Amino acid sequence: MKDIYLMFMRHLKKSLRQPIWLILGLSQPILYLILYMPLLKNTGVGAASATGEIVKMFVPGMLVIMGMGALFAGFSFVDEIRQGIIARWLVTPTGRVGLILSLVLNQILTLFTQSCILLVIALFLGLNVPFMGIVLTMILILLIGVTMSSFSYAISLSVKDEGVLASITNTVYLPIMLLSGIMLPISLAPNWMKNMALFNPFYYVVEASRSLFAGDYSNMMVVKGFAIMMGFTLLAVWLAVRALNKMTA
Amino acid sequence: MQTNGLSKVFTSGKGKKVKKVEAVKGVDLEVKPGEIFGFLGPNGAGKSTTLNMLTTLSTPTSGKAMVAGFDLLKHPQRVREQIGYVSQAGGADTFANAYENLLLQARLYGISKPEASKKAKELVERFQMMEFADREARTYSGGQKRRLELALGIVHQPKLVFLDEPTTGLDPQSRAYFWEEIKRLKEDGMTIFLTTHYLEEADNLCDRVAIIDHGTIVAVGTQLELKRQIGAESIIVEFKGEKDTESAKVLFGSLQFVQKIIAQENKLYLYVQNGEGLIAEVLRMLDKEKIAIQTIGLSRPSLDDVFLQKTGRSLREGKQ
Repeated sequence: MKDIYLMFMRHLKKSLRQPIWLILGLSQPILYLILYMPLLKNTGVGAASATGEIVKMFVPGMLVIMGMGALFAGFSFVDEIRQGIIARWLVTPTGRVGLILSLVLNQILTLFTQSCILLVIALFLGLNVPFMGIVLTMILILLIGVTMSSFSYAISLSVKDEGVLASITNTVYLPIMLLSGIMLPISLAPNWMKNMALFNPFYYVVEASRSLFAGDYSNMMVVKGFAIMMGFTLLAVWLAVRALNKMTA
Repeated sequence: MQTNGLSKVFTSGKGKKVKKVEAVKGVDLEVKPGEIFGFLGPNGAGKSTTLNMLTTLSTPTSGKAMVAGFDLLKHPQRVREQIGYVSQAGGADTFANAYENLLLQARLYGISKPEASKKAKELVERFQMMEFADREARTYSGGQKRRLELALGIVHQPKLVFLDEPTTGLDPQSRAYFWEEIKRLKEDGMTIFLTTHYLEEADNLCDRVAIIDHGTIVAVGTQLELKRQIGAESIIVEFKGEKDTESAKVLFGSLQFVQKIIAQENKLYLYVQNGEGLIAEVLRMLDKEKIAIQTIGLSRPSLDDVFLQKTGRSLREGKQ
C-alpha cells in the first residue's frame, strides 16, 4: 500500500515537471468547445435549440474525448522501459500490480483535474446541469481513464516501442471517436452507421452521459453505459497485469 | 550464489512456425561471498539473459539457482529484498534529482523516511555527486548518471550486487573511477557479479571469471588458472597471404616447442613456453624456408587467448 503511494507521488512529481501532457490533454476538447461548438447552432442540430441545450449535448462528448486521451499514457511508459527505470523498479520488492496501479491512479488524477477545468469553462459557456448528473458522469469518465490507460500500458509492455504504440493508438482512436457520437449524436447517422455504433462501447458511454446531463438517471442507456464500461475496465486492468507478468516470464 | 543448469529458451511464433532460440544453455555457476565475479563474453553470448534470470526479471525455462541464500524460483521476492541491480540501460529516473532518486529507491526497500534521507546524503557524498545532486538526472553526463545508478543499486546495502556492463560507453577516466568504486564495494563486504565484454575489465577487476559464448560457459576460474590452462605465451606472426600462412602452419605444426597453433586470417598464433627466447628461432626457420612475413610479435597470455583457444574466435575483433 505504501509502495503505491510512493510510486504515485513520484509519477505526480514527474507530471508536474513536464506539464505539457496535462496541457495537451486539455487543449483538444477546449478548442472544440470554443471553436467548434458555436457552429452547431447553425446546423440542423442546434438551429432550434437554446445555447444551453447545445452545450448539454456537446460537453459529455468532450469529457469522453479527454478520458480516451488516457490511451496515450503508454508513451512515457515506453520511454521509462527503455531507460531501464521499470526494470530497476521490478527488481525491488515493490509489487508489480502496485506499479501499474500507481500509474493508473496518476492518470485518473490528471483526468479529473482536466475534467474539472473543462466543466468550469463549460459553465461559463452556458452549461446548466444537475450536480448529480455531473458526479455520475465523472465516474464514467474516470472509468474510461482507467480502461484506456491500462490498455495503453498493456500494449506498451508488449511492443516496447513508441512507433508501434503510436500506430496502434492512432488507428484505434479516430474510428472509435467518430462512431461514438461525440461530435454529433449518432441519432443523426444513417442506419448502417447506427448499427456499427452498437458495437462500440463508447457509444453507450456517450449516450449514458448525455442522459445523465439531462437529469435522466434511470434511462436504460445509463445502466448499459455503466455495465459495459465496468466490464471493459476489468478487462483492461487484467490485460495490463497479464502483460506485466508476461514481461518477466 | 549457485546455479544449476540454468537455461533460457525464447520461443516465438506459434504452432508449426515455432522458433526456439536457446539463449542460455545449462549454465552452472558458483559465486563465493565477498568476491568480484566476472561474466565475460561477446555481445549476444547470453550474459544479460543470464543476469535477467538471476535478478528475477525473467523466468528460467529450466534449472535452479540459489541467490543470496534464497531459492530463485521458489522465493523470488526474498531474493529481490537481498540483491542490488544496475542494468545496462542504467535506470535513473531522469525527471528527479539524485536525492529524490535515492530516497525513493531506499523507501521501496522498506527503509524509513529519515533513514532513507540519511542514506541518500551519504551516497551523494560517497560518489562525489554534491555538485549536481540538486539537478534533475536528465541534465547529467553519462558518467554522472552512472554514478547515481551505481548508488541506486546499493542504497539498501545488499549482500550481492549485479552489474550489467557497468562501464560500457564510459570514457577511460570514468571507467577507472568506476573500477575503484567497485573495488570499494568489495571492501565493504559486498559480493559483486558483473557482466562485461571488456577484457581489461575482467582482467583487472575480477577475482574470478566465467567466459560465456553462445549460451554456454566455456571456462571458469581465476585469471591465473585460466591462463595456465591454455599454458603459454603466443608468438603472433602475420603473413602476406593465405599461401604463406598455410606453408608456415605446416612448418611449425611439426615442431615440438609449439604447443598449439591457431590460424586466423593471415595470422598464426604459436603457443610456446619461452616466447622471448624462441622468436629468433621462429624467424630463422621462416627465413630458411623463404616465407616472408609482415609482422611478428610476442603476446603474453590474456583472457582473449583463453577465449580464442576455447572458441576459435577473438573477443577483441569487432569490439571496441
